[in-house]
Amino acid sequence: MISPEIIGLFTDTFGLESDPSEGPWVPSDKVLSVAQALYDRGFTYFSYCAAAHYPATEEEAGYYNVSYRFRRVGPKGEQAAFRIRVLLDAETPSLAGIWIGADWQEREQYDLIGVRFSNHPDLRRIMMPEDWDGHPLQREYAIETPHHPWR
Amino acid sequence: MSVNQAINNGTGDLNLPKAITDLPRSNPYLSVEDYDPEGDLLVMNLGPQHPSTHGVLRVKLWMDGEVCVKAVPYIGYLHRGVEKLCEHRTYVQITPLVDKNDYVSPMTNELAVNIAFENGLGITPPPRAQVIRTIVSEMQRITSHLLAVGTWALDLGGALGGGATAFMHTFRERELLLDCFEELTGARFHYNHHTVGGVRHDIPESWGTHVIKALDVIEGKLDSYEGFLTENQVFKARSVGVGILDPKLGLELGISGPNIRASGVDWDLRRDAPYAAYDRVDVRVATQQTGDCYARYLVRIAEMRESVRIVRVLMKDIPSGPICAVKPVKLPGAVKLPPNLSAYTCIETARGELGTWLVTPPGKKKSAMPYRMKIRPPSLHALSALPWVCPGNNLSDIIAILGSMDPIMGEVDR
Repeated sequence: MISPEIIGLFTDTFGLESDPSEGPWVPSDKVLSVAQALYDRGFTYFSYCAAAHYPATEEEAGYYNVSYRFRRVGPKGEQAAFRIRVLLDAETPSLAGIWIGADWQEREQYDLIGVRFSNHPDLRRIMMPEDWDGHPLQREYAIETPHHPWR
Repeated sequence: MSVNQAINNGTGDLNLPKAITDLPRSNPYLSVEDYDPEGDLLVMNLGPQHPSTHGVLRVKLWMDGEVCVKAVPYIGYLHRGVEKLCEHRTYVQITPLVDKNDYVSPMTNELAVNIAFENGLGITPPPRAQVIRTIVSEMQRITSHLLAVGTWALDLGGALGGGATAFMHTFRERELLLDCFEELTGARFHYNHHTVGGVRHDIPESWGTHVIKALDVIEGKLDSYEGFLTENQVFKARSVGVGILDPKLGLELGISGPNIRASGVDWDLRRDAPYAAYDRVDVRVATQQTGDCYARYLVRIAEMRESVRIVRVLMKDIPSGPICAVKPVKLPGAVKLPPNLSAYTCIETARGELGTWLVTPPGKKKSAMPYRMKIRPPSLHALSALPWVCPGNNLSDIIAILGSMDPIMGEVDR
């Protein structure tokens, strides 16, 4: 659960409506300022970056739901989180300049899901081989998809 | 001033050990061209097949003589696509699948995902199940730390009283607890013990006395490990002051568990965000201030002693009653979660914060399979510290650093 102090910060300073466990949807132009505000308030622990893939449907365009979570370590275990809706052909700013831990986590989401992060220091594949085609955690990617021979 | 006081005072700034945070830090993003070595740089591969990488890990090292100037880890050799498989399994079928992630502590892996499913369903397991879960988690922590200490002492080499001494001793005691798990679940590893709403196997008769007997042996043996490791001059020469992890850097990297507690961060999810039956016991968190390999070893030894104490306290008073909140599941698709849900839950395993980000399918229908399940493994974050910690150390010290971080590659690569 996100701490009430941070939900207040999202509403008062940035005018964003929060979900109690997942945080607000942050528009891409505000991502870096929201992240820096959280870091400055002591949320220095980078918990994770995760993404989910939503393919295009008849009603709406396809998008990635990129979720971040941070923590202020200590007895209260306060968490802060926000999520970003990234269109399938768009990019989202990398947070590796604020939390170093975002480097590997965003590489993993790029590799497995296909989210592209702008200004990332080292956006390479991390889990899959370098010559792998496609991003395996996308919804259309079948488990039996043929691949290059193992090297 | 402790970390707790710093937060309560509202300073927001952790009072981290200053001697460590002021040390100069190398920058792994620099290209090797920027270094000015004394001799020629030698590129060396550590792994992927190397006994002390604790799995299939490759680290590319640029060596200036005997000193490392840059280290780049390459992971993914053990990638099995667990997160993709989870999207094609029902909630009941996922439990035995995640057993294989952190293959030296499967009990806590199962607990992490099942807590996430229960959170989505909105059910709470009965008290008896909660206490059984806590007891097996703590026993698993002891077995995991025994393995970590034993294999690490093996990595450090032949000088420690004849090579594999500590390794053989810790594995002998680990076997005692694995026998208890076998008695409880029928398996030595990969138990499939936890289920949605509780546990699958009730405690057999006189299991408690067997566990207490095993713990008595282990507690006595912990003193003997300390006898041949803690004060061993060779062991200290290899580990004191080696691989110092800056706590500020560690927090930004997301390092948790014993690795960050050894750097002076007083934080443990068992105490700070209790799950299962941890609210029934008073968890005393072990910390060290120096942040080196030796401190990480000391924290693990102290955590084993604490786990022994916690199991003893819980064993005294196991509530009676059912062991599962829902009817025993007969069909794999029997557990269905509501749609449009996304939530994060985490527990403290032997390696740190093991989290599950669970997303259920969009739409209006209940579903028996997750839409996306992200497992947040503590070992992956611990490994991401290597490029920062390794430069400036000898090659032999890099082996010590790697072992002291205690990464499990099955969990890193998933």
